[in-house]
Amino acid sequence: MKDEIIYMDNAASSRLDDEVFEAMKPYMLDNYAVATSDFAYSMGVEAKEALDDAREMIVNELNGTPEEFIFTSGATESSNLALKGVAEELSEEGNHIIISEIEDFPVLNTAKALEKEGFDVTYLEVDEEGFVDLNELEESIEEDTILVSIQHGNQEIGTVQDIAKIAEVCDDHDVIYHTDATHTFGRVPIDVSEVPVDLVTVAAHPIHGPRGIGGLYIREGTSIKKQMNGGFQENNLRAGVENIPGAVGFAKAVELIDEEENKRIENLRNELMEGLMEEIPETILNGPKEKRTPQNANITFHYVEGESITLHLDMRGIAVSTGSACFSKSLEASHVIMGIGGDHERAHGSVRFTLGRFNDQEEIDEVVKATSEVIEELREISPLSKEEEE
Amino acid sequence: MSASKNVDVLGETCPVPLVETRKAVRKASPGDVIEVVGNHPESKEEIPMAVDELGLELLEIKEKGDKWKIRIKIPEED
Repeated sequence: MKDEIIYMDNAASSRLDDEVFEAMKPYMLDNYAVATSDFAYSMGVEAKEALDDAREMIVNELNGTPEEFIFTSGATESSNLALKGVAEELSEEGNHIIISEIEDFPVLNTAKALEKEGFDVTYLEVDEEGFVDLNELEESIEEDTILVSIQHGNQEIGTVQDIAKIAEVCDDHDVIYHTDATHTFGRVPIDVSEVPVDLVTVAAHPIHGPRGIGGLYIREGTSIKKQMNGGFQENNLRAGVENIPGAVGFAKAVELIDEEENKRIENLRNELMEGLMEEIPETILNGPKEKRTPQNANITFHYVEGESITLHLDMRGIAVSTGSACFSKSLEASHVIMGIGGDHERAHGSVRFTLGRFNDQEEIDEVVKATSEVIEELREISPLSKEEEE
Repeated sequence: MSASKNVDVLGETCPVPLVETRKAVRKASPGDVIEVVGNHPESKEEIPMAVDELGLELLEIKEKGDKWKIRIKIPEED
Protein backbone atom coordinates (compact mmCIF):
# COMPACT_ATOMS: atom_id res chain seq x y z
CA MET A 1 0.00 0.00 0.00
CA LYS A 2 1.17 3.54 -0.66
CA ASP A 3 2.80 5.58 2.09
CA GLU A 4 1.00 8.78 1.13
CA ILE A 5 -2.74 8.45 1.25
CA ILE A 6 -5.33 10.58 -0.49
CA TYR A 7 -8.06 10.37 2.08
CA MET A 8 -11.60 10.94 0.81
CA ASP A 9 -13.66 9.20 3.48
CA ASN A 10 -14.05 12.21 5.76
CA ALA A 11 -17.70 11.42 6.50
CA ALA A 12 -16.57 8.25 8.26
CA SER A 13 -13.78 9.93 10.21
CA SER A 14 -11.39 12.76 9.52
CA ARG A 15 -7.79 13.64 10.34
CA LEU A 16 -7.53 15.52 13.61
CA ASP A 17 -6.42 19.09 12.97
CA ASP A 18 -3.07 19.90 14.61
CA GLU A 19 -4.60 22.92 16.31
CA VAL A 20 -7.34 20.71 17.75
CA PHE A 21 -4.73 18.32 19.10
CA GLU A 22 -2.78 21.19 20.67
CA ALA A 23 -5.96 22.57 22.28
CA MET A 24 -6.75 19.16 23.78
CA LYS A 25 -3.28 18.34 25.12
CA PRO A 26 -3.35 20.50 28.27
CA TYR A 27 -6.58 18.76 29.34
CA MET A 28 -4.89 15.39 29.20
CA LEU A 29 -1.46 16.23 30.61
CA ASP A 30 -1.82 19.33 32.82
CA ASN A 31 -5.41 19.64 33.85
CA TYR A 32 -6.88 16.16 34.21
CA ALA A 33 -9.47 17.01 36.86
CA VAL A 34 -13.16 16.32 36.53
CA ALA A 35 -15.39 19.35 36.12
CA THR A 36 -16.29 20.39 39.66
CA SER A 37 -18.45 23.02 41.32
CA ASP A 38 -17.02 26.35 42.50
CA PHE A 39 -16.63 24.88 45.99
CA ALA A 40 -13.95 22.37 44.94
CA TYR A 41 -10.23 22.63 44.11
CA SER A 42 -9.05 25.08 41.44
CA MET A 43 -8.06 22.46 38.89
CA GLY A 44 -11.63 21.14 38.85
CA VAL A 45 -13.06 24.65 38.62
CA GLU A 46 -10.78 25.37 35.64
CA ALA A 47 -11.86 22.11 34.03
CA LYS A 48 -15.48 23.11 34.47
CA GLU A 49 -14.75 26.49 32.89
CA ALA A 50 -13.10 24.77 29.89
CA LEU A 51 -16.15 22.52 29.51
CA ASP A 52 -18.54 25.48 29.70
CA ASP A 53 -16.48 27.50 27.20
CA ALA A 54 -16.48 24.56 24.79
CA ARG A 55 -20.23 24.15 25.18
CA GLU A 56 -20.77 27.82 24.43
CA MET A 57 -18.58 27.75 21.32
CA ILE A 58 -20.39 24.70 19.92
CA VAL A 59 -23.94 25.78 20.68
CA ASN A 60 -23.21 29.23 19.22
CA GLU A 61 -22.77 27.48 15.88
CA LEU A 62 -26.45 26.49 16.19
CA ASN A 63 -27.43 29.85 17.68
CA GLY A 64 -28.78 28.15 20.80
CA THR A 65 -28.00 28.72 24.47
CA PRO A 66 -25.48 26.73 26.57
CA GLU A 67 -28.26 25.38 28.79
CA GLU A 68 -29.68 23.65 25.72
CA PHE A 69 -26.60 21.62 24.80
CA ILE A 70 -25.19 18.47 26.34
CA PHE A 71 -22.07 16.53 25.43
CA THR A 72 -22.28 12.84 24.56
CA SER A 73 -19.87 10.20 23.28
CA GLY A 74 -20.87 10.88 19.68
CA ALA A 75 -23.70 10.92 17.17
CA THR A 76 -24.87 7.39 17.97
CA GLU A 77 -25.40 8.18 21.63
CA SER A 78 -27.02 11.53 20.84
CA SER A 79 -29.58 10.00 18.50
CA ASN A 80 -30.23 7.10 20.89
CA LEU A 81 -30.89 9.58 23.67
CA ALA A 82 -33.11 11.73 21.45
CA LEU A 83 -35.31 8.91 20.19
CA LYS A 84 -35.44 6.67 23.27
CA GLY A 85 -35.53 9.62 25.65
CA VAL A 86 -38.56 11.22 23.98
CA ALA A 87 -40.31 7.91 23.34
CA GLU A 88 -40.05 6.82 26.98
CA GLU A 89 -40.97 10.22 28.38
CA LEU A 90 -44.04 10.57 26.17
CA SER A 91 -45.13 6.92 25.96
CA GLU A 92 -48.37 7.68 27.78
CA GLU A 93 -49.27 10.40 25.28
CA GLY A 94 -48.66 8.36 22.16
CA ASN A 95 -46.58 5.64 20.58
CA HIS A 96 -46.14 6.73 16.98
CA ILE A 97 -42.75 7.81 15.61
CA ILE A 98 -41.90 8.96 12.08
CA ILE A 99 -38.45 8.70 10.49
CA SER A 100 -37.24 8.71 6.90
CA GLU A 101 -36.20 5.41 5.35
CA ILE A 102 -32.71 6.72 4.53
CA GLU A 103 -31.67 7.72 8.06
CA ASP A 104 -28.24 6.73 9.24
CA PHE A 105 -28.03 3.68 11.52
CA PRO A 106 -28.15 5.53 14.87
CA VAL A 107 -31.67 6.74 14.07
CA LEU A 108 -32.78 3.84 11.86
CA ASN A 109 -31.78 1.08 14.26
CA THR A 110 -32.95 2.96 17.36
CA ALA A 111 -36.37 3.32 15.70
CA LYS A 112 -36.34 -0.41 14.91
CA ALA A 113 -35.45 -1.18 18.54
CA LEU A 114 -38.35 1.00 19.72
CA GLU A 115 -40.63 -0.79 17.26
CA LYS A 116 -39.75 -4.09 18.96
CA GLU A 117 -40.73 -2.52 22.26
CA GLY A 118 -44.19 -1.76 20.91
CA PHE A 119 -43.83 1.68 19.34
CA ASP A 120 -45.39 2.17 15.94
CA VAL A 121 -42.83 3.51 13.43
CA THR A 122 -43.58 5.04 10.02
CA TYR A 123 -40.63 4.93 7.60
CA LEU A 124 -41.22 7.79 5.16
CA GLU A 125 -40.22 7.11 1.58
CA VAL A 126 -37.99 9.59 -0.24
CA ASP A 127 -37.85 10.66 -3.89
CA GLU A 128 -35.12 9.73 -6.38
CA GLU A 129 -32.82 12.41 -4.96
CA GLY A 130 -33.46 11.49 -1.35
CA PHE A 131 -35.93 14.21 -0.39
CA VAL A 132 -38.82 13.64 1.98
CA ASP A 133 -42.23 14.81 0.71
CA LEU A 134 -43.63 17.39 3.14
CA ASN A 135 -47.23 16.51 2.31
CA GLU A 136 -46.56 12.87 3.02
CA LEU A 137 -44.95 13.84 6.29
CA GLU A 138 -47.97 15.91 7.27
CA GLU A 139 -50.38 13.14 6.25
CA SER A 140 -48.40 10.63 8.32
CA ILE A 141 -48.74 12.63 11.52
CA GLU A 142 -51.49 11.16 13.67
CA GLU A 143 -53.07 11.93 17.03
CA ASP A 144 -50.59 9.67 18.79
CA THR A 145 -47.45 10.85 16.95
CA ILE A 146 -44.89 11.92 19.53
CA LEU A 147 -41.70 12.29 17.51
CA VAL A 148 -40.40 12.93 14.00
CA SER A 149 -36.74 12.24 13.24
CA ILE A 150 -35.59 13.31 9.79
CA GLN A 151 -31.93 13.95 9.16
CA HIS A 152 -30.40 17.19 7.92
CA GLY A 153 -27.74 15.85 5.51
CA ASN A 154 -27.59 12.29 4.27
CA GLN A 155 -24.51 10.26 5.19
CA GLU A 156 -24.15 8.58 1.80
CA ILE A 157 -25.66 10.75 -0.93
CA GLY A 158 -25.45 14.16 0.77
CA THR A 159 -29.09 15.18 0.31
CA VAL A 160 -29.83 18.21 2.51
CA GLN A 161 -33.44 18.15 3.69
CA ASP A 162 -35.40 21.35 4.16
CA ILE A 163 -35.42 21.08 7.94
CA ALA A 164 -36.99 24.53 8.33
CA LYS A 165 -40.13 23.34 6.54
CA ILE A 166 -40.08 19.93 8.28
CA ALA A 167 -39.77 21.68 11.65
CA GLU A 168 -42.71 23.96 10.81
CA VAL A 169 -44.91 20.97 9.97
CA CYS A 170 -43.96 19.31 13.26
CA ASP A 171 -44.43 22.55 15.19
CA ASP A 172 -47.90 23.03 13.68
CA HIS A 173 -48.86 19.59 14.98
CA ASP A 174 -47.09 19.93 18.34
CA VAL A 175 -44.80 17.00 17.56
CA ILE A 176 -41.20 16.95 18.74
CA TYR A 177 -38.72 17.13 15.86
CA HIS A 178 -35.22 15.63 16.02
CA THR A 179 -32.67 15.98 13.24
CA ASP A 180 -29.40 14.13 12.83
CA ALA A 181 -26.98 16.84 11.70
CA THR A 182 -23.81 14.74 11.93
CA HIS A 183 -22.94 15.37 8.29
CA THR A 184 -23.95 19.03 8.13
CA PHE A 185 -22.82 20.49 11.44
CA GLY A 186 -20.23 23.16 10.63
CA ARG A 187 -20.75 22.66 6.89
CA VAL A 188 -24.39 23.70 6.35
CA PRO A 189 -25.81 26.32 8.74
CA ILE A 190 -28.58 25.53 11.21
CA ASP A 191 -30.11 28.34 13.24
CA VAL A 192 -32.32 27.00 16.03
CA SER A 193 -33.53 30.52 16.81
CA GLU A 194 -35.14 30.55 13.34
CA VAL A 195 -35.91 26.86 12.78
CA PRO A 196 -38.20 25.28 15.41
CA VAL A 197 -36.27 22.01 15.62
CA ASP A 198 -36.27 20.53 19.13
CA LEU A 199 -33.32 18.14 19.10
CA VAL A 200 -30.16 18.21 16.99
CA THR A 201 -27.48 15.50 16.91
CA VAL A 202 -23.94 16.74 16.21
CA ALA A 203 -20.47 15.16 16.26
CA ALA A 204 -16.83 16.17 16.02
CA HIS A 205 -15.38 13.33 13.97
CA PRO A 206 -16.37 14.55 10.44
CA ILE A 207 -14.97 18.08 10.99
CA HIS A 208 -11.37 17.26 12.02
CA GLY A 209 -12.29 17.02 15.68
CA PRO A 210 -11.67 14.01 17.91
CA ARG A 211 -13.68 10.80 17.78
CA GLY A 212 -15.72 9.87 20.86
CA ILE A 213 -17.31 13.26 21.39
CA GLY A 214 -20.61 14.59 20.14
CA GLY A 215 -23.56 16.43 21.49
CA LEU A 216 -27.27 16.90 21.52
CA TYR A 217 -29.03 20.23 21.29
CA ILE A 218 -32.22 20.02 23.38
CA ARG A 219 -34.60 22.96 23.09
CA GLU A 220 -35.69 24.24 26.48
CA GLY A 221 -38.88 22.51 27.61
CA THR A 222 -38.47 19.42 25.37
CA SER A 223 -39.75 16.25 27.06
CA ILE A 224 -36.88 13.79 27.26
CA LYS A 225 -35.85 11.07 29.70
CA LYS A 226 -32.27 10.39 30.78
CA GLN A 227 -31.02 7.07 29.37
CA MET A 228 -27.74 6.49 31.20
CA ASN A 229 -28.00 6.14 34.96
CA GLY A 230 -25.26 7.44 37.21
CA GLY A 231 -24.24 10.93 38.24
CA PHE A 232 -25.91 14.24 37.58
CA GLN A 233 -23.65 15.54 34.81
CA GLU A 234 -24.82 17.36 31.69
CA ASN A 235 -28.01 18.88 33.08
CA ASN A 236 -28.74 15.51 34.68
CA LEU A 237 -29.38 14.08 31.20
CA ARG A 238 -26.15 12.21 30.56
CA ALA A 239 -24.33 10.56 33.45
CA GLY A 240 -20.60 9.91 33.38
CA VAL A 241 -17.34 11.79 33.81
CA GLU A 242 -17.22 14.47 31.13
CA ASN A 243 -14.76 14.08 28.27
CA ILE A 244 -13.14 17.48 28.70
CA PRO A 245 -10.26 17.00 26.21
CA GLY A 246 -12.86 15.83 23.71
CA ALA A 247 -15.17 18.78 24.39
CA VAL A 248 -12.30 21.26 24.08
CA GLY A 249 -11.19 19.59 20.84
CA PHE A 250 -14.73 19.63 19.48
CA ALA A 251 -15.00 23.36 20.21
CA LYS A 252 -11.65 24.04 18.52
CA ALA A 253 -12.78 22.04 15.47
CA VAL A 254 -15.91 24.20 15.25
CA GLU A 255 -13.86 27.38 15.67
CA LEU A 256 -11.59 26.39 12.77
CA ILE A 257 -14.38 25.93 10.23
CA ASP A 258 -15.49 28.93 8.25
CA GLU A 259 -17.59 29.74 5.20
CA GLU A 260 -14.49 30.15 3.05
CA GLU A 261 -13.34 26.61 3.83
CA ASN A 262 -16.78 25.20 3.07
CA LYS A 263 -16.82 27.03 -0.26
CA ARG A 264 -13.33 25.73 -1.10
CA ILE A 265 -14.40 22.16 -0.28
CA GLU A 266 -17.58 22.55 -2.32
CA ASN A 267 -15.62 23.80 -5.34
CA LEU A 268 -13.22 20.86 -5.10
CA ARG A 269 -16.14 18.46 -4.72
CA ASN A 270 -17.83 19.95 -7.81
CA GLU A 271 -14.65 19.50 -9.81
CA LEU A 272 -14.35 15.92 -8.62
CA MET A 273 -17.97 15.12 -9.43
CA GLU A 274 -17.84 16.76 -12.86
CA GLY A 275 -14.42 15.29 -13.64
CA LEU A 276 -15.52 11.73 -12.83
CA MET A 277 -18.78 12.01 -14.73
CA GLU A 278 -17.17 13.59 -17.78
CA GLU A 279 -14.24 11.18 -17.93
CA ILE A 280 -16.13 7.98 -17.22
CA PRO A 281 -19.11 6.86 -19.31
CA GLU A 282 -22.16 5.11 -17.84
CA THR A 283 -22.30 6.71 -14.43
CA ILE A 284 -25.16 7.92 -12.23
CA LEU A 285 -24.92 10.70 -9.69
CA ASN A 286 -26.54 9.48 -6.48
CA GLY A 287 -28.28 12.31 -4.68
CA PRO A 288 -29.10 15.80 -5.89
CA LYS A 289 -26.83 18.19 -7.77
CA GLU A 290 -27.95 21.13 -5.66
CA LYS A 291 -29.04 21.02 -2.00
CA ARG A 292 -26.21 18.64 -1.25
CA THR A 293 -23.64 18.67 1.57
CA PRO A 294 -20.55 20.48 0.20
CA GLN A 295 -18.17 17.61 0.95
CA ASN A 296 -20.07 14.71 -0.60
CA ALA A 297 -19.94 13.08 -4.04
CA ASN A 298 -21.54 9.69 -4.62
CA ILE A 299 -21.44 8.05 -8.03
CA THR A 300 -22.46 4.66 -9.36
CA PHE A 301 -20.15 3.23 -12.00
CA HIS A 302 -22.11 0.68 -14.00
CA TYR A 303 -20.90 -2.90 -14.56
CA VAL A 304 -18.34 -2.85 -11.73
CA GLU A 305 -18.52 -3.69 -8.05
CA GLY A 306 -17.88 -0.99 -5.47
CA GLU A 307 -15.61 -3.30 -3.44
CA SER A 308 -13.35 -3.86 -6.43
CA ILE A 309 -13.16 -0.12 -7.07
CA THR A 310 -12.33 0.69 -3.44
CA LEU A 311 -9.72 -2.09 -3.27
CA HIS A 312 -7.95 -0.98 -6.45
CA LEU A 313 -8.09 2.68 -5.43
CA ASP A 314 -6.64 1.68 -2.06
CA MET A 315 -3.75 -0.01 -3.85
CA ARG A 316 -3.14 3.33 -5.57
CA GLY A 317 -3.22 5.10 -2.19
CA ILE A 318 -6.77 6.46 -2.33
CA ALA A 319 -9.29 5.87 0.49
CA VAL A 320 -13.00 5.99 -0.41
CA SER A 321 -16.06 3.95 0.55
CA THR A 322 -18.88 2.13 -1.23
CA GLY A 323 -22.52 1.24 -0.68
CA SER A 324 -21.80 -2.29 -1.78
CA ALA A 325 -22.78 -5.13 0.52
CA CYS A 326 -19.39 -6.71 1.40
CA PHE A 327 -17.95 -3.32 2.37
CA SER A 328 -20.72 -2.78 4.89
CA LYS A 329 -20.58 -4.44 8.31
CA SER A 330 -24.26 -5.35 7.85
CA LEU A 331 -23.40 -7.22 4.62
CA GLU A 332 -26.40 -5.61 2.99
CA ALA A 333 -26.50 -3.24 0.00
CA SER A 334 -26.92 0.43 0.88
CA HIS A 335 -30.43 1.10 2.17
CA VAL A 336 -29.97 4.70 0.99
CA ILE A 337 -29.37 3.81 -2.67
CA MET A 338 -32.21 1.29 -2.51
CA GLY A 339 -34.35 3.98 -0.82
CA ILE A 340 -33.93 6.40 -3.73
CA GLY A 341 -35.16 3.72 -6.10
CA GLY A 342 -31.87 2.11 -6.99
CA ASP A 343 -31.45 -1.60 -7.55
CA HIS A 344 -28.72 -3.89 -6.20
CA GLU A 345 -26.46 -3.20 -9.19
CA ARG A 346 -26.65 0.56 -8.57
CA ALA A 347 -25.92 0.11 -4.87
CA HIS A 348 -23.05 -2.33 -5.51
CA GLY A 349 -21.39 0.00 -7.99
CA SER A 350 -21.72 3.13 -5.85
CA VAL A 351 -18.67 4.91 -4.49
CA ARG A 352 -18.74 7.70 -1.92
CA PHE A 353 -16.04 10.38 -1.92
CA THR A 354 -16.18 12.76 1.07
CA LEU A 355 -13.77 15.67 1.17
CA GLY A 356 -12.25 17.59 4.04
CA ARG A 357 -9.84 20.37 4.96
CA PHE A 358 -6.74 18.51 3.84
CA ASN A 359 -7.78 17.69 0.28
CA ASP A 360 -6.44 19.87 -2.54
CA GLN A 361 -6.67 20.36 -6.30
CA GLU A 362 -3.78 18.01 -7.01
CA GLU A 363 -5.58 15.22 -5.17
CA ILE A 364 -8.81 15.84 -7.10
CA ASP A 365 -6.91 15.49 -10.40
CA GLU A 366 -5.19 12.34 -9.15
CA VAL A 367 -8.45 10.75 -7.98
CA VAL A 368 -10.23 11.49 -11.28
CA LYS A 369 -7.32 9.98 -13.23
CA ALA A 370 -6.93 6.90 -11.00
CA THR A 371 -10.66 6.21 -10.84
CA SER A 372 -10.99 6.48 -14.64
CA GLU A 373 -8.15 3.98 -15.12
CA VAL A 374 -9.48 1.56 -12.51
CA ILE A 375 -13.02 1.64 -13.93
CA GLU A 376 -11.76 1.13 -17.48
CA GLU A 377 -9.64 -1.87 -16.49
CA LEU A 378 -12.36 -3.39 -14.33
CA ARG A 379 -14.95 -3.01 -17.08
CA GLU A 380 -12.68 -4.87 -19.46
CA ILE A 381 -12.86 -7.93 -17.22
CA SER A 382 -16.37 -7.43 -15.84
CA PRO A 383 -18.89 -10.14 -16.84
CA LEU A 384 -21.68 -7.53 -16.45
CA SER A 385 -19.95 -5.30 -18.98
CA LYS A 386 -19.48 -8.21 -21.38
CA GLU A 387 -23.15 -9.21 -21.02
CA GLU A 388 -24.16 -5.66 -21.91
CA GLU A 389 -22.00 -5.70 -25.05
CA GLU A 390 -23.68 -8.92 -26.20
CA MET B 1 11.76 -20.23 -6.02
CA SER B 2 9.41 -21.68 -3.38
CA ALA B 3 6.53 -19.62 -2.04
CA SER B 4 6.88 -17.93 1.37
CA LYS B 5 3.13 -17.67 1.66
CA ASN B 6 0.26 -19.62 0.05
CA VAL B 7 -3.20 -18.16 -0.46
CA ASP B 8 -5.93 -20.68 -1.28
CA VAL B 9 -9.03 -18.97 -2.69
CA LEU B 10 -10.48 -21.93 -4.56
CA GLY B 11 -14.25 -21.60 -4.70
CA GLU B 12 -14.16 -17.93 -3.70
CA THR B 13 -15.52 -15.18 -5.96
CA CYS B 14 -14.80 -11.43 -6.31
CA PRO B 15 -13.72 -9.62 -4.28
CA VAL B 16 -12.52 -12.30 -1.81
CA PRO B 17 -9.44 -13.49 -3.81
CA LEU B 18 -8.25 -9.88 -4.11
CA VAL B 19 -8.90 -9.19 -0.41
CA GLU B 20 -6.99 -12.32 0.63
CA THR B 21 -4.13 -11.45 -1.72
CA ARG B 22 -3.93 -7.94 -0.27
CA LYS B 23 -3.91 -9.41 3.24
CA ALA B 24 -0.96 -11.64 2.33
CA VAL B 25 0.89 -8.73 0.67
CA ARG B 26 0.39 -6.52 3.74
CA LYS B 27 1.94 -9.18 6.00
CA ALA B 28 4.76 -10.14 3.62
CA SER B 29 8.39 -9.10 3.93
CA PRO B 30 10.66 -7.82 1.13
CA GLY B 31 11.76 -10.71 -1.08
CA ASP B 32 8.81 -12.96 -0.13
CA VAL B 33 6.97 -14.91 -2.82
CA ILE B 34 3.20 -15.25 -2.53
CA GLU B 35 1.39 -18.02 -4.37
CA VAL B 36 -2.34 -17.53 -4.91
CA VAL B 37 -4.46 -20.47 -6.10
CA GLY B 38 -8.05 -19.98 -7.22
CA ASN B 39 -10.62 -20.66 -9.90
CA HIS B 40 -12.65 -17.44 -10.19
CA PRO B 41 -11.99 -16.22 -13.77
CA GLU B 42 -12.25 -12.46 -13.09
CA SER B 43 -9.89 -12.67 -10.11
CA LYS B 44 -7.23 -14.16 -12.37
CA GLU B 45 -7.33 -10.85 -14.24
CA GLU B 46 -7.84 -8.59 -11.24
CA ILE B 47 -4.90 -9.86 -9.19
CA PRO B 48 -2.28 -8.99 -11.86
CA MET B 49 -3.92 -5.55 -12.08
CA ALA B 50 -3.37 -5.15 -8.32
CA VAL B 51 0.22 -6.42 -8.62
CA ASP B 52 0.89 -3.62 -11.07
CA GLU B 53 -0.80 -1.00 -8.87
CA LEU B 54 1.24 -2.06 -5.86
CA GLY B 55 4.53 -2.09 -7.76
CA LEU B 56 5.08 -5.82 -7.12
CA GLU B 57 6.62 -8.37 -9.46
CA LEU B 58 4.38 -10.82 -11.28
CA LEU B 59 6.45 -14.01 -11.52
CA GLU B 60 3.96 -16.22 -13.35
CA ILE B 61 0.36 -17.11 -14.09
CA LYS B 62 -0.30 -20.82 -14.66
CA GLU B 63 -3.60 -22.31 -15.70
CA LYS B 64 -4.82 -25.91 -15.52
CA GLY B 65 -8.45 -26.48 -16.43
CA ASP B 66 -10.52 -23.99 -14.42
CA LYS B 67 -7.80 -23.55 -11.83
CA TRP B 68 -5.13 -20.88 -11.92
CA LYS B 69 -2.01 -20.14 -9.90
CA ILE B 70 -0.45 -16.67 -9.63
CA ARG B 71 3.00 -16.13 -8.13
CA ILE B 72 3.90 -12.65 -6.87
CA LYS B 73 7.21 -11.38 -5.54
CA ILE B 74 7.52 -8.57 -3.00
CA PRO B 75 10.45 -6.40 -4.16
CA GLU B 76 13.67 -6.42 -2.16
CA GLU B 77 14.33 -3.16 -0.32
CA ASP B 78 16.77 -0.78 -2.02
